Amino acid sequence: MNRSYFSFLNRIIVCGPTALAFIVIPLSVSAQDVNSTSSDYVSRAEYDKLKAEHEAMKQELEALKATVRQMATAPSPGAAPAQPAVPAEGPSENKQVVTTTSTVDELRQEVDALKLQIKETFPGTTKFLLAGYGTAAFTARSGEDPFFDAAFNALFLWKLTDRLFFEGEMELEFEDEATDLNLEVAQASYLLNDYMTIGLGRFLNPMNFFVERQHMNWVNKLPDKPLAVYDGIFPESEMGAQLRGVIPIGPTKLEYAAFVANAPGLITESDDVSEIGMLDFDNDANFGGHVAVGGHVGFIPIPEVEVGYGIQRSKVGPRDQAVENILQSVDVNYVRDATWLKGLINLRAEWGWSHVDHFVYDADGSQGFGPLSFNNNRNGGYAQIAYRPTHLDNDIVRNLEGVFRYDRINQMHTPVGFDEQRWTFGLNYWVTPSAVLKLAYEVDDKNGGARDQNAFMMQAAVGF
Amino acid sequence: MTKILTRICKWIGVPGAIIVVSCGGLTWLIGCASNKPSGEVSAGAAHPEKSGAQLWAENCVRCHNIRSPGSLSPAQWEVAMMHMRVRANLTPEEHKKILEFLKSSG
Ligand code: HEC
Repeated sequence: MNRSYFSFLNRIIVCGPTALAFIVIPLSVSAQDVNSTSSDYVSRAEYDKLKAEHEAMKQELEALKATVRQMATAPSPGAAPAQPAVPAEGPSENKQVVTTTSTVDELRQEVDALKLQIKETFPGTTKFLLAGYGTAAFTARSGEDPFFDAAFNALFLWKLTDRLFFEGEMELEFEDEATDLNLEVAQASYLLNDYMTIGLGRFLNPMNFFVERQHMNWVNKLPDKPLAVYDGIFPESEMGAQLRGVIPIGPTKLEYAAFVANAPGLITESDDVSEIGMLDFDNDANFGGHVAVGGHVGFIPIPEVEVGYGIQRSKVGPRDQAVENILQSVDVNYVRDATWLKGLINLRAEWGWSHVDHFVYDADGSQGFGPLSFNNNRNGGYAQIAYRPTHLDNDIVRNLEGVFRYDRINQMHTPVGFDEQRWTFGLNYWVTPSAVLKLAYEVDDKNGGARDQNAFMMQAAVGF
Repeated sequence: MTKILTRICKWIGVPGAIIVVSCGGLTWLIGCASNKPSGEVSAGAAHPEKSGAQLWAENCVRCHNIRSPGSLSPAQWEVAMMHMRVRANLTPEEHKKILEFLKSSG
């Protein structure tokens, strides 16, 4: 409707002067007649009346032109771009066409913005985002059959109000010839104030930098994850409540997170003796009824650097013989994209310690290995460097990234009975900022008579 | 070696917990003193001179590759940025300026 109104106005602009010419020319002729020949045809009064009408029409035309110009510069919703195809007749006409053509781009932008605004009002699209990542991998590890693997992590994000947020993550992966569905994260976060957010539910372990911020396959730079800090001595997620936020101190920042959660379980019975004295982090039912208290502080002196310390303490084990468990971690991160480096450099390191106090396992010998008593102390972590020449002109080279990681776990004096260290060399190709193809070779070294298992790994990961 | 480690663990555990608790308490106080709707820039903002684009370039590359503003719609950025505000502990000023930048450059 607006569109036809607009073109109607345009037509008036085109036809207006022509029509006016038809009216005015005879009029001026008759006026001359009046003056020169004092003819009988038009009286003075009639002439004055006609002249007044002519003036009024001229004014009306000017007003119309102004309206059209206004509409062109500040178009109304739904106004289609003016069609420059309208034939140009006369100088004022040309001017108008130029004006409308120059506003076509603006109109188009406006229409796009409006379309988006309309889309945003559709129910369900305003505050919800489906994110996550998909992974396909191939691993050939010496001493094991090579295998293909795939996983899918869906992340459901809702912004319910300016202060309330919910995130849920589900992981679908193949394990033991079956598809496994895990609820990794289910957390409601509420912004108590500008510097403090409370989170309730199941959340990624804030005391472990790698788990909370690096383990996602489109973020992690190698096909596998470092020893100790992932699937090792720390829990991946916690079930409980956390308080977190940031304190700006001048140009620097201090991040913090504090949490209470279900404590890990202590494995006191198992068919596999190497598991005795280890921690069970999937303690959703909170056997033993202990509560873990922990947190993380991170200092960011300049945006490129972050240094952090995390800790978690709890009692573990059966209620009447509970012992102390302390988990600690230190992390250092340096990320710099600089011209003099011709690219992006990523340096990350994290080291962790786990201590379970002295406990007597299989005290009555009924399991066949006891009584066995020990302090369970383990530690380990990784250091990694990655470089990508993002400033080079060549499209292929610019998307290549070289990675080197050293990771290690020390657990010789536990029932596991060996330490392990690895050197991993990787080459990545970034198809988009969140889609990557990874190739890596890992050199493995275990002591204590355990078999070294070098590996060749490939992984494709897409974050969305 | 093991004993030393055990001792360090025990010793550092208490101060560690104190740091976490006192940081929490301090933030609570700061926050309550300047309790405003989220996204508003507080007085004494950390980087009044930095633009949204600059804060985006500095902050969003810390953990993962930076995604272009056009990769999500303004409505989607609102959700993702709230996620990142919590995950990356962004200040309200960083959150507001970066979100404005992402929405306007997309
Ligand atoms: C502290 C580390 C960290 C920083 C800093 C960070 N991110 Fe993220 N970002 C993550 C992690 C971790 C994920 C994956 C979330 C998951 O899978 O649980 C993620 C995911 C995302 C996603 C995917 C959608 C989503 O919400 O999961 C987008 C988009 C994103 N980040 C944008 C940004 C932007 C923009 C910034 C700058 C303000 C930023 N990130 C800063 C850690 C970070």
